Amino acid sequence: MRIRYADRMQRLKASEIRELLKVTENREVISFGGGLPAPELFPLEEIMAVSQIVLKEQGMEALQYTTTEGFRPLREWIAARMNQRQGMALKAEGVLLTNGSQQALDLTGKIFLNEDDIILCESPTYLAAISAFKAYSANFIEVPTDDAGMDMEVLEGLLIKEKNIKLIYVVPNFQNPTGRSWSLERRKELAKLSAEYGVIVIEDNPYGELRFEGEDLPAIKSFDQAGNILCLGTFSKTFCPGYRIGWIAGAEAIIEKYVLAKQGADLQCNTLAQREIMKYLELYDIDRHIDKIKAVYLQRRDLAVRIMTDCFPREVRFTRPEGGLFLWVELPVGLSAVKLFEQCMARNVAFVPGDSFFPNGGKANTFRINFSNMSEERIEKGLRIIGEEIEKMLRVAAGE
Amino acid sequence: MKIVLEKQDATPLYMQIARQIETQILTGSLRAGYRLPPERKLAESLSVNRTTVLNAYRELKAEGLICSHVGKGTVVAETSGEGTANKLREPVALTAEPIWSHYFNEASERFAHYDMNDLLSLASRKDIISFATGIAAPEWGNAEILEIMKEELSGRTADMTLIHSPVEGFLSLRTALSKHMVKRGCHCSAEEVLVVAGSQQGIDLAGRVLIEEGDIVLVEEPSFFPALRVFKGMGARIIGIPMAEDGMDVESLAQLLKRCHPKFIYTMPSFHNPTGREMSLKKRKRLMELAYQYRVLIVEDDAYGELSYDKPSLPTLKSMDSAGYVIYLSTFSKIIYPGLRIGWLAAKKPLVKRFAAVRQISDLHTSCLSQKIVEKFITGPGYGVHLNKICSDYAKRRNTMMAALERYALPGMEFACPAGGYYIWCSLPDGLDARQVLKRAGAYGVAFIPGRTFSVDKQCDSYMRLNFTFAKIADIETGIIRLCRAITDLMKEYKEYRAEDEIIEITPIV
Repeated sequence: MRIRYADRMQRLKASEIRELLKVTENREVISFGGGLPAPELFPLEEIMAVSQIVLKEQGMEALQYTTTEGFRPLREWIAARMNQRQGMALKAEGVLLTNGSQQALDLTGKIFLNEDDIILCESPTYLAAISAFKAYSANFIEVPTDDAGMDMEVLEGLLIKEKNIKLIYVVPNFQNPTGRSWSLERRKELAKLSAEYGVIVIEDNPYGELRFEGEDLPAIKSFDQAGNILCLGTFSKTFCPGYRIGWIAGAEAIIEKYVLAKQGADLQCNTLAQREIMKYLELYDIDRHIDKIKAVYLQRRDLAVRIMTDCFPREVRFTRPEGGLFLWVELPVGLSAVKLFEQCMARNVAFVPGDSFFPNGGKANTFRINFSNMSEERIEKGLRIIGEEIEKMLRVAAGE
Repeated sequence: MKIVLEKQDATPLYMQIARQIETQILTGSLRAGYRLPPERKLAESLSVNRTTVLNAYRELKAEGLICSHVGKGTVVAETSGEGTANKLREPVALTAEPIWSHYFNEASERFAHYDMNDLLSLASRKDIISFATGIAAPEWGNAEILEIMKEELSGRTADMTLIHSPVEGFLSLRTALSKHMVKRGCHCSAEEVLVVAGSQQGIDLAGRVLIEEGDIVLVEEPSFFPALRVFKGMGARIIGIPMAEDGMDVESLAQLLKRCHPKFIYTMPSFHNPTGREMSLKKRKRLMELAYQYRVLIVEDDAYGELSYDKPSLPTLKSMDSAGYVIYLSTFSKIIYPGLRIGWLAAKKPLVKRFAAVRQISDLHTSCLSQKIVEKFITGPGYGVHLNKICSDYAKRRNTMMAALERYALPGMEFACPAGGYYIWCSLPDGLDARQVLKRAGAYGVAFIPGRTFSVDKQCDSYMRLNFTFAKIADIETGIIRLCRAITDLMKEYKEYRAEDEIIEITPIV
């Protein structure tokens, strides 16, 4: 029997990252591929305690259905935290809990996107956002992006010229995949343009709390004049991704639409997870926990940058992120990162070739390195192997 | 009037000039009433002193061959005059070829452009690597278009295809074009579109419909020279607005608009010819503001707008114009076969009506077959695929030329990497004259167009326009090497010449 799928399924392809993660379950592989946090940093003892307490104290509620919006104390905590750390003025009513921020992306597609709508995104941009939005048959236009954010002139030009633009999607802090952050000026400018042209901005911020160097910058949302900027956040990188608790925050009128969409999708987030996280936040100091994560990631980034400076050929360029989980490598034009990946896989080292981060296809000479997930020893060993393989490619390219 | 001077000849220069003019008057090739060039101009074109010309004219006046009238300049005298009649020894034979200069009208003189001919013959020599043309890579033909052509001509409706089209073009093509422009941010109806035979015809129509003798037209300095010639031909006074890396200097424009009232501003904001520059968004906005404030029309030539290689291109002026001050022109000549001669114009309905009325007496309408071919091609998926392919190919050619320039350019040669279009605009060291460089470069087997050609005010002498889309990618580096060799040669000669100068300077006066 021929199975007749919806037309939009033709636009969904198996993610390279997913295929990769399969490979890396094999322990032998040194993987810079996935965007996984360091598992040894999960506060296992505390969570064991917390889950006991939750079940003992509030077992009946914790195992029952709950509201679509989510556990109110947790939403209040999130609003307060964003107001305090990122200069916003949110109330709990403006926060909806989602199954990780990935669900918030999917719901965004659901409530905003018609077929052939246009999404403006950074170039490159977050892979899973591409797949979330592509499922709604939207088109992407990549706005050229440098170390300070999107090119504002091109962005405004597009806003003038393209009538179908629905959303601008950005990751302004330690972006996945490049690790780059937006300057203060461009944040303000984007907020201004979004008000001027009446276009929704999705500010995805999973990594903002993981700054291990430099000054925190206010969120784009904090300059929001027209109430059309929406913020996505998550506990996946600061706490544990297995809980699948993230959120979307913004103008209450818009959040109401998200609530309707979420009802249809899955009714609510896991009640137990919401209450356990809240209990943890009551009993423990999450900032101390985040400090621990940052200290380890800083060490790993320093090591990665040192090894890469040391053993990658000079022609190779890479970013030096001040936070987050990723850095971005650019090989000389003409070299293929996919080919490099194949060579490295033969030596049990993995990373993600960059082209899948360009929604309209693109730079085959780039790749992403995750530095958060492995021990220093494996990082060093893996990067040295990648360096050697690049060296080989360059020699072949030079015809030696 | 043609004068050739032999500087080695013992005959004084003024006599040579006088004799040659005399002969031309006596043989009838200069007719009574013919206006001789002003002394200064003739002196300049012959590279002689002004007094030399003055003396020659004096000589001719003494012979009664020419006379001066205030306000009319120097003209050939009536031949019936007493002194001249007996000098007319050789009357023109009855069966000789007509003396064309008697027949040509004065207006057409303004269109003539002599120095281009040498250049074009140079550029079409087989052994020359040409950076001179403004045409697409010859290898970018498109099989699909040829297929469409065959279909059109073999189908049952083939004869229908070849019967007249409306003056404005087939409505179906105009509809397709209005959809096509959405990509450039323009939203207009089919009735606001006029199909023309290449955007050159659009420029010509704009000139005919809008320019009154003596009107002022503002253009970028430098600008697309065939447009300048059209406007000049219509009797416009052309004023150039200086350009910066990010396009026309809109603040000088603002100053200029306070003083004069131009009919329109002709501009190429996207990948300007010849400089390859892209006007910044800020300037585009300011330009529109000024157009509204001073009620000046804008003729926007977007021939290269779709050829953006690095990033999405900036919005057209047309897309920013709600009031209707912008007349938008574009063409398919830079993307598909230029020989199809399909361009189009988009403007408010009253303009399109008037343009169509004028166009009707000129050539009725654009070729039906071309219209059908283009319509099929741009409404199908093939166009997008083709555009992507040529963009990535041209980006490669541009990169190749940039890399070669970066490697071989001499100090003082300045050039910027254009984000799209066809051209790199490059300056020469030490103010070398690009026309001199071209002579030498031609000998080495490479051609380009000297900047002077594009200039309104006879500037840009020290600039070259280098096209990167036509030459084979494998030839580009060689071409640049040859070009740089020619420049090195001239610089050396120039330095030797200057060195001589210096010796003279330090010679003590005794």
